[in-house]
Amino acid sequence: MRDFIHFYLNGKPVTLSGSAVFQTLSDFLRYERGATGTKVVCAEGDCGACTVLLGKVEAGALAYRAVNSCIQSLYQLDCTHVITVEGVKLNGTLCAVQEAMTANHAAQCGYCTPGFVVSMCGLFDAQTSVTEQDIKDALTGNLCRCTGYEPIIKSGLAVETDRVVKFSQMYPQAEMLESFRKLADQPIYIQAGNQTFGSPTETAGAIKFKAGHEKTVVVQGATDVGVWCNKRNFVPPAVLSLSKIEELKDLTIAGDVVRVGARVTLSELEAFIKDVVPEFYAILNIFGAPQIKNAGTLAGNIANGSPIADTLPFLFVMEAELELAGGQGSRRVGIREFYKGYKTFDLAADEIIVRVHIPLPQPGETLKLYKVSKRKDLDISTFTAAIRLTVEQGMVGNVRIAYGGVGPVVLRLPRTEAFLSGKTHTLETYEAAGLLAREEITPISDVRGSSEFRFQLAENILQKFFYETC
Amino acid sequence: MPVVGKNIPHDSARGHVSGESLYIDDMPFARNELLVDFVGSPFAHGKLIDIDLSEAQRIPGVVGLYTAKDLACNLFGPILKDEVLLVEDVAWFLGEPIVVIAAETRDAMRQAKAAVRITMEELPPVFTISEAIAKQQFLAPERFIRRGDLAAGFAAADHLLEGVFTNGGQDHFYLESQAALVYPGENNTLTVHSSTQHPTEVQEIVAKLLGLQNNQVVCITKRMGGGFGGKESQATHPAVMAGLVALRHKRPARIVFTKDDDMKVTGKRHPFENRYKVGFTNDGVITAFQVELYSNGGAYADLSTAVMARAMTHADNAYFLPNVEIKGVCCRTNLPPNTAFRGFGGPQGTVTIENIMEEIAFLLKKDPLEVRRANLYGETERNVTPYGEIVMNNMLPRLAAEQFRRSDYENRREAVRRFNAESKTHLKGLSCTFVKFGISFNTKFLNQASALVNIYLDGTVQVSTGATEMGQGVNTKIRQVVADQFAIEPEAVILMPTSTEKSNNASATAASSGADLNGSAAVDACQRLRTRLAEAAAKFIASKEADIEASPSNILFEDGYVFDNRRPARRMSFKELVKYAYHQRISLGERGFYATQGIDWNWETGSGNPFLYYTMGCSVAEVLLDRFTGALKVLRSDVLMDIGKSINPGIDRGQLTGAYIQGMGWVTTEELKYAANGDLLSHSPTTYKIPNIQDLPEVFNVDWIENDTNEVNLLRSKAVGEPPLLMAIAVWTAVKDALSAVSGDEIPRLHLPATNEEILMRLTHYRKTAASSVTETVETARV
Repeated sequence: MRDFIHFYLNGKPVTLSGSAVFQTLSDFLRYERGATGTKVVCAEGDCGACTVLLGKVEAGALAYRAVNSCIQSLYQLDCTHVITVEGVKLNGTLCAVQEAMTANHAAQCGYCTPGFVVSMCGLFDAQTSVTEQDIKDALTGNLCRCTGYEPIIKSGLAVETDRVVKFSQMYPQAEMLESFRKLADQPIYIQAGNQTFGSPTETAGAIKFKAGHEKTVVVQGATDVGVWCNKRNFVPPAVLSLSKIEELKDLTIAGDVVRVGARVTLSELEAFIKDVVPEFYAILNIFGAPQIKNAGTLAGNIANGSPIADTLPFLFVMEAELELAGGQGSRRVGIREFYKGYKTFDLAADEIIVRVHIPLPQPGETLKLYKVSKRKDLDISTFTAAIRLTVEQGMVGNVRIAYGGVGPVVLRLPRTEAFLSGKTHTLETYEAAGLLAREEITPISDVRGSSEFRFQLAENILQKFFYETC
Repeated sequence: MPVVGKNIPHDSARGHVSGESLYIDDMPFARNELLVDFVGSPFAHGKLIDIDLSEAQRIPGVVGLYTAKDLACNLFGPILKDEVLLVEDVAWFLGEPIVVIAAETRDAMRQAKAAVRITMEELPPVFTISEAIAKQQFLAPERFIRRGDLAAGFAAADHLLEGVFTNGGQDHFYLESQAALVYPGENNTLTVHSSTQHPTEVQEIVAKLLGLQNNQVVCITKRMGGGFGGKESQATHPAVMAGLVALRHKRPARIVFTKDDDMKVTGKRHPFENRYKVGFTNDGVITAFQVELYSNGGAYADLSTAVMARAMTHADNAYFLPNVEIKGVCCRTNLPPNTAFRGFGGPQGTVTIENIMEEIAFLLKKDPLEVRRANLYGETERNVTPYGEIVMNNMLPRLAAEQFRRSDYENRREAVRRFNAESKTHLKGLSCTFVKFGISFNTKFLNQASALVNIYLDGTVQVSTGATEMGQGVNTKIRQVVADQFAIEPEAVILMPTSTEKSNNASATAASSGADLNGSAAVDACQRLRTRLAEAAAKFIASKEADIEASPSNILFEDGYVFDNRRPARRMSFKELVKYAYHQRISLGERGFYATQGIDWNWETGSGNPFLYYTMGCSVAEVLLDRFTGALKVLRSDVLMDIGKSINPGIDRGQLTGAYIQGMGWVTTEELKYAANGDLLSHSPTTYKIPNIQDLPEVFNVDWIENDTNEVNLLRSKAVGEPPLLMAIAVWTAVKDALSAVSGDEIPRLHLPATNEEILMRLTHYRKTAASSVTETVETARV
């Protein structure tokens, strides 16, 4: 057990304990270190101005991924190497990415620029050659209001790749890896004022912590919790991190089931699922910022319980199961049964989600997933849908439909499902099903859309499905 | 070699990519610095009953709480003086500041904000234009621009068309929120660092509201993290708050709005509700045009009347209107005062007539481009605007012809028609729009600028102008202009932070005029310096060369050297000349001034020559709509402009792409949604959707035509800041065009922005209408 965290910042070691670990990384950089290159604009992980690279040990070496420092608390940084915009220069001269951005007018007002630089440096650290789409995908989480992005894309394409120096060369990893290795199996327990932080190394330790601390907030990426802290003055009394529990990192296919451990990030899942379930990949692709997907997890998306969580309709129609572990042992609960109401769950006080089991679509089944949002990428859904069924000899069967954004929880549509079963696969069938679907939902009007809009989407999506599968 | 016309990097580019460029919140914290913030009205409209500060005062770390009575004066405004900084009696919008707080720590500030108790009596609020009209609640008297005989024009028409067009507002979404840092000095002086487009206004209002003389306040702006008009008048408010604290406590004081607060309490682009009646011939030629423009000005006048003036002078856009009446009314509502935003009313005026062009074409079953070309301003006739200004240097016909060819309009029109006939799942739309954007402040006296040019003994130059840098590259352009004046490298010229100490009584950097006005003032200063230096050089060379008299007119500045063209071999470097001139006791500093000539405006008659010239463009956009979700994708955009002779092609191109995408946001995804109490619900990037990198048109062709004939402006350039934003109107009209494929006989009305919801609701309406085969024609009369 130790009462401190240890990480590296642009190659220099940092050790912190006490209440300091509860501040955000961006505050620490800007106010404690005077490293003001990292900008804070939205303070909710939705603009990318505060992007930094987080190096974590993967397969024995540090792999760097972009995250939003405004919603990363320092307690999450144990055994990582943080690279900020101040750390990408090469011996005080501009790196290849910075040179290309300078020459190609990628910066106008400059406020978003450090975030773009860092995201792009992350891309070129991970890949030696990039396409225009790679650049766009790597920069989806960075907003710019001045340039119209075109000069930034051009800069990316103009980077002299042979001049790119990998971070592993800039920041020799031996010392960092050695210090992380020494600390890896030491659980952390920090108490400061009215806040407690625990980072056990085994699931049992996590259960014990949660049982022993009321109102424990379980975090892996903390991409939601960070926003609550910034925007709602939320002060979590107890924070439980799963980031040191190796066994929660499994991502495998066993038979027809994908097992996704609680620590698996959405980025890891996105890459893993690409050829396994392309429909789900497409949804993960537009899930949100890379910065969020690099930190957030599938388990977190489930546990946050939002009715517009992008992954849920898929999990609902696949009838995924959650593996929960608690003081009484472990048990499994169906995803549908897990949600008992708006943000209320079938989850005991001492239980945590350790794994998600997702059955794969079977041969002959059709699966389509939909996300409707005001902006296609980097937006929270107005409406989501998943439709899974079979069509044999023109007849519809085995129907499972789930909608999100039309009620307090993601809904299966039993009446619509029953109606469709055994009907002919024709436009008329889906038009009629659409009218029925309207009756099964109770959407509200909010900032993302009116209830009429959602009713209409609920009706139309079945017709869209028909045209895509006829 | 001249550097004007070259694509050199932005002068801050290296700092920007390194994160080393400093903004207000990045300036080092002083040990004794105070944080400043405010508490605002809980109601959009309410009578202030009581302010209880007792609990807040007791919080450790809270050092000051101030209300309206702590100000020497509490009335100001950029045009009409109708605005208060802190509510005295009645709050006019939700969040309107009431109490200013000074605290030692962020924690104390957080607690203090929660502990301020404000008691108010809620009054009925007004949020929309129609409510304001019903209540006759206006910010200023209505105004008119009129020409010709409207009745005769309508009588001569083959068709009449009436309608109402509405557009929503737009948040600036500059990445750096409003911010100021104020240092107190001796004898009640203040140095204000402000993220403002208008340091002079900040200086004046800080002085006025705090009871100081203007000369006791210096306002400095190094740069802004984006402005877009949002920091033209509204950067003053936080600056005064920080100034108040700095003055009272004699400690540095800093205020930085959070993104959420910034979006909730600052003004935005004006929503408009425009009622129009148009008469036109069978060929689509407009014979009479009557429009009433109503803007939602919010709680105070701010710049609303000026924004309306630009909307009115852009209601014609690129089209000749023989008989015309344009009425402009600014409505007063209980929203934060709406303000300048790139285009400044121009987009709202322009989109109204572009909408009408689509509708005329729809009624006549013609290609909208044909209708537009039938009405386009001519070069020698049909070339006078409704307000009497001749459209000089008219590139519109040339742009139309060129863009028609470049965009492959004809073939794509046919392809879109075929696609819409075949696709059951999607619709395409194609549209070509024009832009004619007047350059100069409508208000004549604002069209002036000064510049200070100092040459140092090593031959380097510092330039200070009234222009503020918000990313648009004005400093880089002026750097290039000044470097060429002395034929030195641009690296030898540095643009200094904008300061009221160097450039007094400067106009806002606005109206796309920053480089025009301030660049011209810099040229004025340089030319006088060059005259003196040429005299010195002539004397020096004549003293060294036998047989020639000193002749300044023979002195040339080239490639860092100065010589007499009769003796080119005896050249001296610019640095040597500077040194020589210094020893000859010749002044090496100069103040330049520029005032735009030949412009005037008269509101009595609604006429004049308000603009020095016009920046023009022709835009083609193609969109794809999903019939089931309303999802919109921009497939291709062709942007072709006339920007005169570019001073820096890289910077100008960035203005074109940036403004276009910003305009695309306005017409598509950027939607301001309010709760019933006037609370802005879309107050952060999570809910307010500016375009993202994936939203770029799949094909994005951006270019300009060669034009070096704009002799009236700085080095034959044309202003480029705002006009390209209006090019994105083609995206919106393309959506309208797509809807016309399914709207039957009904004119496809469309609100702006065309969000997916707006589009789907229209599509649903047309499907239902088609299903019930009820048709409704909006054409009101056939003459």
